[in-house]
Amino acid sequence: MTREASSRFTAYCIGIFVAALALCVGFYLGGQRPPIDQVLILGLLFAVAENRSVELPNKSSLSASLMIAMTAIVLFSAPAPNLGPLVVGLCGGLYLPQLRSRDWRKVLFNSANFGLSSLAASALFELIVPTAPAPAFLLAASIPVALLYSLANSALLVPAMSMLTHRSLADVSQEMWVSDIQILPFGFLGVLLGELYLNLDGWVVPLFVAPIFIARQAFASYLQLRAAQEATLSTLVRALESKDRYTAGHVERVARFSQYMGQELGFRQSRLERLRYAALMHDIGKLIVPNQILNKPGKLTAAEYDRMRHHEFVSVEVLRRIDFLAPVVPSIEADHSGGSDPNSSLEARIILVADAFDAMTSTRAYRRALTQEVAFAELRDKAGSQFDAECVDALVRSIEAKREIYGAGFEGDVADFKAPPPTTGTGSAGLGDLAQDSERVS
Amino acid sequence: MSIRTKVAALALAAAVVALAVEVAGGDPQVATLAVLAAGVAIGELVVLHPQGRAALPLSFAVFTVLVRAGSPVQVVVVVVAAELVASVLRAGPISVRTRAVLFAERCAEAFAAGAVYNLVTTLGRNREELGVVVLALTLAAIAPVVVADLVAYARHREIAPFRARSADLAIVTSGILMAVGYDGIDGDGRLGLWGPILFSIPLIAAWYSFELLASTRRSFEQTVQALAAAPELGGLVREGHADRVAELADSMGRVLDLSSSDLERLRTAALLHHLGAVCLDEPDEGFTLDPVEVAMAGANMLRASEVLAPAGDVVAAEPLLHRPPGVADPPPAALPGMILKVASAYDELTEGDDAHASWAVEALYTGPGYVYDGRVLGALERVLVRRGVLDAR
Repeated sequence: MTREASSRFTAYCIGIFVAALALCVGFYLGGQRPPIDQVLILGLLFAVAENRSVELPNKSSLSASLMIAMTAIVLFSAPAPNLGPLVVGLCGGLYLPQLRSRDWRKVLFNSANFGLSSLAASALFELIVPTAPAPAFLLAASIPVALLYSLANSALLVPAMSMLTHRSLADVSQEMWVSDIQILPFGFLGVLLGELYLNLDGWVVPLFVAPIFIARQAFASYLQLRAAQEATLSTLVRALESKDRYTAGHVERVARFSQYMGQELGFRQSRLERLRYAALMHDIGKLIVPNQILNKPGKLTAAEYDRMRHHEFVSVEVLRRIDFLAPVVPSIEADHSGGSDPNSSLEARIILVADAFDAMTSTRAYRRALTQEVAFAELRDKAGSQFDAECVDALVRSIEAKREIYGAGFEGDVADFKAPPPTTGTGSAGLGDLAQDSERVS
Repeated sequence: MSIRTKVAALALAAAVVALAVEVAGGDPQVATLAVLAAGVAIGELVVLHPQGRAALPLSFAVFTVLVRAGSPVQVVVVVVAAELVASVLRAGPISVRTRAVLFAERCAEAFAAGAVYNLVTTLGRNREELGVVVLALTLAAIAPVVVADLVAYARHREIAPFRARSADLAIVTSGILMAVGYDGIDGDGRLGLWGPILFSIPLIAAWYSFELLASTRRSFEQTVQALAAAPELGGLVREGHADRVAELADSMGRVLDLSSSDLERLRTAALLHHLGAVCLDEPDEGFTLDPVEVAMAGANMLRASEVLAPAGDVVAAEPLLHRPPGVADPPPAALPGMILKVASAYDELTEGDDAHASWAVEALYTGPGYVYDGRVLGALERVLVRRGVLDAR
C-alpha cells in the first residue's frame, strides 16, 4: 500500500470510529441507559462470535455476530434502542489476531463497522416494529432488519477494501454487495434469543448459544475435512502428473467439461461436486501403469498393452470403494468399453462425453488434436447412439456460451513429441473409428 | 420411503390431529400430546452422528418437553405409541429383535426422564420457581443420556469420552430450552407448542452440521483408502497392506498416547505410505524399489498440499533409522514415523498373517538396535498380546 493510500485508510478508520463514539456520547446524553450487565454479556458474545467465525470456501466468512446484534436490538428496544446495539456492536472489533498483531486501524474499523451497522438495523427495527408486537410479526421483521445490517456492513467495508486493494469502488462493490440468504437464519435466531432474554433473563443465553456453538464447531470441522478431501484429490492429480503430464491435464479438463454440463443441466452444488470428484478419479487406474509403458514412444508389445488395459479394471475397482462415487462407476466401464449405457446414471453419461471431447481436442503422440468444430460434429454425429444427446447439447451450449475454444491451435499443454503426431489416430472414449486399424499405435 | 418423506408424513399427521381437535373443540391437551408424539417419532428418525460416540436421537430433547407437558400416564402412553411407530419406520435392514431391543431402550430412557422430573418437582413441592424448574428439566434432559451410557457400558464395557460429548451438550441444552419455551417459568415466556418448535432450530442446525461432517468424513476416508488401494491393485504392494498397517499403527499410537491429531496424520500416512511406488520407474527384473525413494516420492506428493503435509512428514520419517550411529537420541517428533516403520515392517514379515506374529516380533527385536525404537516395539507387543496373537512375556 502506498503511503498516501495508507494515510487515507488510517483517516477513514479513525473517522468512522470517532463518529461511532460521538454517537455513543450523544445517545448517552440523550438519556439512553442500557443495563450494563446485558451490554457486557452481549458485547462478550459478539466478540466471541467474531473470533469464532468460519471461513467458507468462497472466501466469505460465516459468523453468528448478526444473531447477537439482533438480540441486542430486541433487548434494548425499550431502554436504549440506539446506544445498546451500538455499544454491543463496537465490541465486535475485539478480534484477537488483530489485537495481537496490534493492527489498531483494523480494530477501530471493525468496531465502528459493527457498531454502526447494528445502529442502522436498530433504527429500522424501531421504525417498523410497533410496541408489544406479535411474535410472528417480530420474526418476519427480522428479515428486512438483518438485510439492512448486512447492507450497512458492506457499505462501510467497500471503501476500506478499495483503499487496501487499490481497486475501484465499483470493482469491490461487485464482490461485496452480497445480501445472501445465509444471514437470515441468524437474524431469526437473534430475535428469538432477544425475546427469551426479555422474558426470562440472561440465564437462558448459554442454553441457546451452546447448540449453535456446537453446530459451528461441527461445521468448521466439516470445512476442514472438505479441504482435506480436495487435497487428497490434488495429490492424485500430482501423482498422475509425475507419471504423465497429459493424463493429469486430461483429468482436470474432463472434470471441467463435466462441470460445465452439470451446470447446464441444472445440477445442485453437492451433485456438481460429486461429478467433479468422479471425473478427477476416472483415470486413477493409470497410476499403476509403469512409467516406462505410459511414456513409451514406440509401439507397445502385447504384454505391455495388457498391462496398459489393466488400468481400466483398477479405475473401476477403486471407484467402487467410494460410496458416493459408486453411481458413476458404469461410466468408467462404458468409457473403457467404448459405448454409453442408456441405463447408467446421468453423471456417467456426462463423464463419457467430457472424456471423448477432451480426447479429440488434445494432441497425443499418436494423433494431432482435432479442431473444436470437428469434435463437436463428431459428438453430434454419435449423439443418441454412442453418447447421450442431452449431454452433448449441454457441452456444446456451455462452451459456446463461455466463448471458449479447445482443440487444434488452442491446446493448453502440448508436449514435445520427437516425431510429429499424425493427423488421424485413435483416442480414448471409444473413438477408434477416427483412425484406420493399420494406423493404431496401441 | 426416504427419511425426509417419513418426517413430513409424521409432521402432517400431527398437524391434522391438532387441527381436528381444535375444530371439534376437543381437549387441547390431546392436540399437544399428538404433536409431541410426532416429535418423539421424528426425533427417532433424525439422529446425531458425532465422531467417537454412539448416535444420539433428537427424541432425547423432546422427552424433556413431554415430561413437562403430560402426566406420568400420558408420558407412558405417548412414548410407547411414538416408539412403536418409530420402530416400524426406522430405516435399514434391522431385525425385529433389534427393533424390539431399541424400543425397550428408548422407553427406559424416556421413563427415566419422567421419573427424575417428577421426583425433583415433588421434592420442590411443585413450585414454579426458577431453581426448581431448571433443576428438574436439567436432570430430566440428562437422564436419557445416562441410561444410554449405562446400556452402552453393559454391551461394550466402554463409555464415550468427555471430549466426544458435544452432541450430548447440544441435546441437553436444547431439551431444557424447548421445555422452558413450552411452559415458561412462572407464567413468563410461555409459548406453548411454538416454544419447542422454535427452540429446536439451533439443535437442527447442529444436526445438519454433524450430518455434513459425518458424510464428508466417510467420503474423505474412502477416498484416501481408494488412493491407498491403487499400488495394491497394481501388484506393487501386498493386498490389504495399507489397511492392516493403518489399523496396527493406530492401535500402537493409542498405546503410546499420541494426540488425536497425531493419530489422524499417522493413519493417513499409513494408508498412503506406499503411494510413492506408483511414481517411480519399475525396477529391472530381480530388483525391488528402494524404500527410501518410495517414501520420499510419496512424502513429496503429500507435502505439496498444506492439509496432507503432516502425513507427508510421517511418511518421510518412516525409512529413517531410529538412532543413526553417532546420534544420541532420535528426534521426538519422529515418533509417528517410527510407529509406521515398525507397523509396516511387521506386516511385511508376517505377510499379513498374524500366525507369524511371534516370529516377526522376534525378528524385529533381534535386528540392529538402531533400526527400530524399543518403546515402539513394546507398543507393538502390547497390541498383539491384546489381540490374542502373541503370548505375554
